[in-house]
Amino acid sequence: MSRFERKILFAIGLSVFLALGGSIFLAQGALRDVYAVGVNERFGAELVHGVEARRGQLMALRSASDQVADAVQWAVEAELTKNRKRSTLDGLLVELLERYDIVTSIRVIDEAEKVLASASRAPDPLGEEVRTTTRERESDPGTGRLRIAVEVSVPEVYFERLQEAGEVADVYSRLQRQGASVSDVYAWVFGVLAFLVILVAFLIGAIVSRRVTRRVTDLAEASRKVGAGDLTVALPTGARDEIAELTQAFNEMVRDLRDSRTRIEYLQRIGAWQDFARRLAHEIKNPLTPIQLAAQEMDETYTGEDTTYQKKLAHARAIIEEEVATLRRLVGEFSAFAKLPEADLSPSDLCELIHSIEDSVPAVLEDVGHGTAAPIEVRLSCGTEPIAVRMDPMMLKRGVDNILRNAIQAVYEAHPKGGGRVLVRAYESEGVGFVEIRDNGPGIDEENWERVFDPYYTTKAEGTGLGLAIVKKVVLEHGGEVRLDRAPEGGARFSIELPLMEPR
Amino acid sequence: MRFALAAVVLLIAAVAYGQSQLPLRDLGVTWSRGAAKVSFSARDLADERVRRELSSGLRKRLVVTVSAHLSGSNWKMGLRQFGCDVTRDLWEDGYLVRIGDQSERLKTLEQVLDRCLVVQGLFVGEPESYELQKGRDIYFAVRAEFNPISKKQCRELIRPTSGDDPVGPISVNIVRRRICRAEHAIEFRGAVLKVPQ
Repeated sequence: MSRFERKILFAIGLSVFLALGGSIFLAQGALRDVYAVGVNERFGAELVHGVEARRGQLMALRSASDQVADAVQWAVEAELTKNRKRSTLDGLLVELLERYDIVTSIRVIDEAEKVLASASRAPDPLGEEVRTTTRERESDPGTGRLRIAVEVSVPEVYFERLQEAGEVADVYSRLQRQGASVSDVYAWVFGVLAFLVILVAFLIGAIVSRRVTRRVTDLAEASRKVGAGDLTVALPTGARDEIAELTQAFNEMVRDLRDSRTRIEYLQRIGAWQDFARRLAHEIKNPLTPIQLAAQEMDETYTGEDTTYQKKLAHARAIIEEEVATLRRLVGEFSAFAKLPEADLSPSDLCELIHSIEDSVPAVLEDVGHGTAAPIEVRLSCGTEPIAVRMDPMMLKRGVDNILRNAIQAVYEAHPKGGGRVLVRAYESEGVGFVEIRDNGPGIDEENWERVFDPYYTTKAEGTGLGLAIVKKVVLEHGGEVRLDRAPEGGARFSIELPLMEPR
Repeated sequence: MRFALAAVVLLIAAVAYGQSQLPLRDLGVTWSRGAAKVSFSARDLADERVRRELSSGLRKRLVVTVSAHLSGSNWKMGLRQFGCDVTRDLWEDGYLVRIGDQSERLKTLEQVLDRCLVVQGLFVGEPESYELQKGRDIYFAVRAEFNPISKKQCRELIRPTSGDDPVGPISVNIVRRRICRAEHAIEFRGAVLKVPQ
């Protein structure tokens, strides 16, 4: 992982985990406050009071049942003391039942366990569940010892409600006791879940950011390679974003650097070859005249009678003079190559260049056809609008002439009886001015497309291999490029590209 | 491998330490038909507050859990638990004690404590559990709790709010454990003894 990636991940992690820590802190405080609203001492006290009230109600009922039992005892004793008749007790018991709601039955039992009188309430038609207990009282009203059993009942729901209230108050008091920790539990569960979510988000963020950081680190690595001299580096631009634009700009910069370096290297090589040509021309040119003069002198000053020898001398002189003439021509071309001036650029129109070439076409055709015009169709074209470039018209014309002459020669050799075509046209496209020379000749093998621009490389018997080298040098000095490929007609296509002048 | 070994050693040490922290108490252990019968008293669970709560008229619960362990291990080779629901009858004097499906009335709190916290000859574990451990060191641990809320009741009382968020159910589960645990508990263990051959 690069330092850049680590920094990006650190920044992401810092921001998300700070947010997490802050949210847990705030959530904890908020939860405590919310919890305190719902679970507080006041509510707890009220619940306890509720339980106490229900308990008090039951205790009061119990006390009431004792008091009712006492009252029944006193009433029975009073009745027996007054009337001394047990037969009147039944009516009294019915009256007592009507008086006391909680009493369900009353029995008066003597010492022999004989029920002397009894009364009971009819069962509740609704069948409400009740809890029943019997309060017994001993009595001796003077007619013998009696036992008075008073059965009282209260609805079971009173007891159930007490239990329910007790359970709620119990849980509530537990919640109250655990108040702080409950809100902490919520905060921590929230925190842990949020942490897991953020962890997943962080991992996704890391993966996504890695795609970005990788492109940046790739750029850094590519820059290091370029710095070390490797200009073949090219990076994929990928998505449409600022990094893609940066990558594209980087690729363009590397391509420009590569082109510039190629241009400089080529011009340096041409310069070296020019220097070599200059020395060669100088070294060859000087002895040519003495060689020629010596051969002439040997031939002219021979006074002997040997005619055979004289013929040999004359033949040798002719060969020497012919080869010296050839060497002079080579020396002339070498010398011209060596003295090739640098291009003097000025604003010009490519169409005018095409028109000026048009004038020299008949002479070239005649030269190639050895006195008669070669049967080649040469077409030159240019648009109606001028194509403004900065160029040295004379030097560029010389270059285009060179290519045109080569094309006409090649087409003539392939189609000596006619049918050969050469097209020269100028046009502009995407900020570049083009001069295209193409033909329907035999073309050039693809493996030689780069080599043809090297000095002294030629496929012609009488060629010096300097023509296309001069063309390339001239075009490079114009800040342009010359390329060779296959023409649609099957022959060769030379394309000279020149930067258009910026519109003012 | 070394890490795993160290973890096992640490675990054993932690278990041994945990066991040694339980207070030691005399437990009567007899063997009958291959199983252990344990006798002990956990009456000291009933401190003043517990006694007051038991007399409140509200239903309270006393739970006693007895477990048998191999010495140096937390694994329970035998477990027995019983609980009493104790309600003081406010209508009539006395206490209603419910153990399982059986109910009985007891007159005093002392009788209740004797019934629920004094254990005589309680079978702990199955004979098959001891059969495999003959001759090995074991001990019995006791946990007596006052008024833990049963899981079922706890679920009914503390429910998560309806919603799709995961925070509520998880939090409620944790809160339930805290809220519903016993209000008071004591733990102790018996001396290490050997399973008879």
